[in-house]
Amino acid sequence: MRLINGPLTSATISEIIAKGGENHECGAHSLFLGQVRSDVTGGKSVKAIEYSAFEEMVTMEADKINKSILSEFDDVKAMEIIHSKGVVKSGEISMLVMISAGHREHASRACAKAVELIKERLPIWKKEVFEDDSAQWKQNE
Amino acid sequence: MEISVLFFGVLSEVTGTRIKHYRGIMSFGDLKHRILDDFPEIIHYNFRVAVNNKIINEDPLLSTDDVVAYLPPFAGG
Repeated sequence: MRLINGPLTSATISEIIAKGGENHECGAHSLFLGQVRSDVTGGKSVKAIEYSAFEEMVTMEADKINKSILSEFDDVKAMEIIHSKGVVKSGEISMLVMISAGHREHASRACAKAVELIKERLPIWKKEVFEDDSAQWKQNE
Repeated sequence: MEISVLFFGVLSEVTGTRIKHYRGIMSFGDLKHRILDDFPEIIHYNFRVAVNNKIINEDPLLSTDDVVAYLPPFAGG
């Protein structure tokens, strides 16, 4: 698990995919990318999200998620989680989850499960920043 | 006991700080009262509490230098 400053670049995403390819036991990688959406609230569009995190606890909880996925899906060989901190503009990528498995079924199911656990358990917060620079804290539903 | 208290997300704005150090704390209940005295407005917000990076469900026994964190609902992703 890594927290990085700002958005995930296409270079970072490519590196992760290339690294997955080094594992020849795997027949499937399931990749999830979370993108900042330009929601409209009260007529104002979100131009960016500012993320903050309790970093020590994020690391500990991500480790637990990792163990839980590996024990539930025995075909999973590896997983990567990267999340942004700081400002990410709308249209940019703020989160990556990649699950590498022997076969596609466990790869895609484990990926969906990991995304749910990340949203539920990682102590990360986001503040939506609107076009007029006003802002509001947002929580997951 | 000396206890450090961390505030995250909306609570860092409501309290105007990300960390506050308390001295002479007798118990977790005592700490909660001191925090509420300093920042009465936090009562209007939902949050969970972690002690040394673990979320607690009931009042724990604190030791000096423990780190207590006030965590609003998570919003990762």
